[in-house]
Amino acid sequence: MKRTLSALCAASLVLAACGGDDEEPGADTGADTSADTGETAAPADTETADTAAPPVAGAAAVDLDAALAADLAACAAAPTGEPIKVGMALDYGEVSGFADIPGGEAATYLAELINCTGGVNGSPVEVTIRDIQGDPQVTATATQELLDAGSHFLIGPPFADFGQPVLQVTGGAVPVFFAASTEPSLPDIGALSFLVSFDDTAQATAAAEWALAEGFTRAITFSSPGPYFGYNPEVFAEVFTAGGGEIVTDQPYTPVDDVDFSAQVSEIASVADGTEIVYSAMLAFQVTALRGQLEGQGLTDLAYMGADAFEATGILAEANNEGILHTTHAFAEPGGRIEQLLTGYEAARGEPLESGTFAGLYADAMLLGIQGIANCGCTDPAQIGAAIAAIEGFSGFTGEMGYAGTNGIPNKPVSIHRVVGGVDTLVADWE
Amino acid sequence: MSGLLQNLVDGLGQGSIYALLALGIAVIFGVMHLLNFAHGELITVGAYVTYFCFTRGISWYWIAPILVITAVLTSLLIEQVAFRWVRGASDSTLLLTSFGVHFVVEALFLMYVSASVKTFARPGWIANTVDLGVARVEVVDIAVISITIVVLLITAGILQRTMFGIALRAAATDFDAARLMGVRSNNVIRGAFALSGALAGIAAIFWLMRAGQATPGAGLTPMLKGVLAALIGGLGSLRGAVIGGLALGVAEVMLQSQLPSGIAGLTDAFVFLLIAMLFIFRPQGIINVGHAERV
Repeated sequence: MKRTLSALCAASLVLAACGGDDEEPGADTGADTSADTGETAAPADTETADTAAPPVAGAAAVDLDAALAADLAACAAAPTGEPIKVGMALDYGEVSGFADIPGGEAATYLAELINCTGGVNGSPVEVTIRDIQGDPQVTATATQELLDAGSHFLIGPPFADFGQPVLQVTGGAVPVFFAASTEPSLPDIGALSFLVSFDDTAQATAAAEWALAEGFTRAITFSSPGPYFGYNPEVFAEVFTAGGGEIVTDQPYTPVDDVDFSAQVSEIASVADGTEIVYSAMLAFQVTALRGQLEGQGLTDLAYMGADAFEATGILAEANNEGILHTTHAFAEPGGRIEQLLTGYEAARGEPLESGTFAGLYADAMLLGIQGIANCGCTDPAQIGAAIAAIEGFSGFTGEMGYAGTNGIPNKPVSIHRVVGGVDTLVADWE
Repeated sequence: MSGLLQNLVDGLGQGSIYALLALGIAVIFGVMHLLNFAHGELITVGAYVTYFCFTRGISWYWIAPILVITAVLTSLLIEQVAFRWVRGASDSTLLLTSFGVHFVVEALFLMYVSASVKTFARPGWIANTVDLGVARVEVVDIAVISITIVVLLITAGILQRTMFGIALRAAATDFDAARLMGVRSNNVIRGAFALSGALAGIAAIFWLMRAGQATPGAGLTPMLKGVLAALIGGLGSLRGAVIGGLALGVAEVMLQSQLPSGIAGLTDAFVFLLIAMLFIFRPQGIINVGHAERV
């Protein structure tokens, strides 16, 4: 009897484990009828559409403003076409969760809104999320699962450590967006790999050019060997010195961990004259700690500027943040699309979305993929990738962008912000 | 010269925090032979408690004692929930259990709080400096060094002059013999975890005052520094833990400031190189601890 019960229990556990895969976080909702553009593009769902529908470049596949205005409690009939399958390989752990969690939430919510307004040419958008758990091996497995599930395109994690395993699995056969990544090594049109943001070269260049334009002639950089934390200050220094500026000192530090900069501050105090701009890609709580220590040494007039990590790690929530500058992806202007997305999400879910403009990047990644499908009128991922590579004049949450003539890094401006009175203010959109 | 003095004070300030953490780790190792990789979770929990207090307008004057109480309670809870069930198990089982606690606590904060950084304000005086003529020293360094000295004196008093302290030292020397002499193992182990928690709580005050942020992995770095300091000092030696912590702090700051700029980014690598050299010549750490092996 005990053996029979044990066998039944074991069998039920196995069945439960198998069934669990279908219940991963994701969204596939049905909604009503009307598509947005009124274009004659064929439904993005059938193989016959590959040849039947001519490319429709430039026409928006999703009426974003209509979707954002949708009332999820009053959707019309669900779209009945073949679903557009969006696969998201995201890291819900500590390494990338700051961007991937709100990004996944934003994409899922936006899919619900699109489906509520009739889907895309009658096809619902279906989002499937797999957690890569901050592990390259799990990343590869999760990517394969998403491909096996028929994803038309993928949205991947921000960092190259996990982005490369995604690309190894897709092998250039399925388009991949790295929504929150600024890593220059990831984009590659040949591998159908796209950023949704500018890359680090662009943001560090913009920071240096802006600093020079503002009249700064001396700069202090903080760097740590490696991609983001080392590459950004390196590019900044190159551009700044090429423009006639001087790097007074480059100080080493440990990203994420260091909160005591005593040794660096002592050295800076001996070489700085107080007119410098301090540039780094460190995290928000690190730069405010550094600033406090520098001010304690009497250096109260330094300017501080950083990369998009400042926003991602909550510069606005920091004390002592007044006047700090940072490059980022978009300005969430009052009444704009990002703000509508954030307020709509909070109203629907009862809790706010963290990392506003980062959420916008993931939503844009999904829209760009859908746009590619609509433009080619096809479902073959390779053809979708080619259509994405030809996109021009796309207008989403984080501004206008396109991939035509690029290697997968969209041509979009770098948004430079300054914290004033605890609020982000737009200083410049640097082209 | 003034630069060296300033670096020395900075290093001692940093090292004092490491010393407090290492001492807590050494206390637990003494009674349980457990190298507690879950020690940093006391700081992680403290970081979120600080964030919670901060969002409710509670000042650092209240947060400081709350942190110590939180760390003591968390330490006792971890002992009760996890380590109580593996007492007397092999060292590797204890080690894996402590890793398990670390990952579970981190996952709980990830799932139920947020993966994003939660920031809170540092005290206004944290970066204030005092001009000593030859050097400009941060007030927080003076505070942390002074308080660490007081805490170490109190800890020494507890260990030397109280029944609990005598029992703890006896258990650290030979746990089984101590039990045969009437020492109650439950009380000693709970007391050790409480003391370890209190030390971690005091360290957390200064660590979090500087950090100003809470993340699920907030305790990882302080835990690693504490374990390193305990190893440098000689695992299980309370004096060694303090010496190891101070040595680690001073070495970090000195190397950071004295290495040529081209290789200053390799400070951590040089620190580990120094530690490796220490272990070549003194594998037992700075202070040798003779333990009776449990069987």
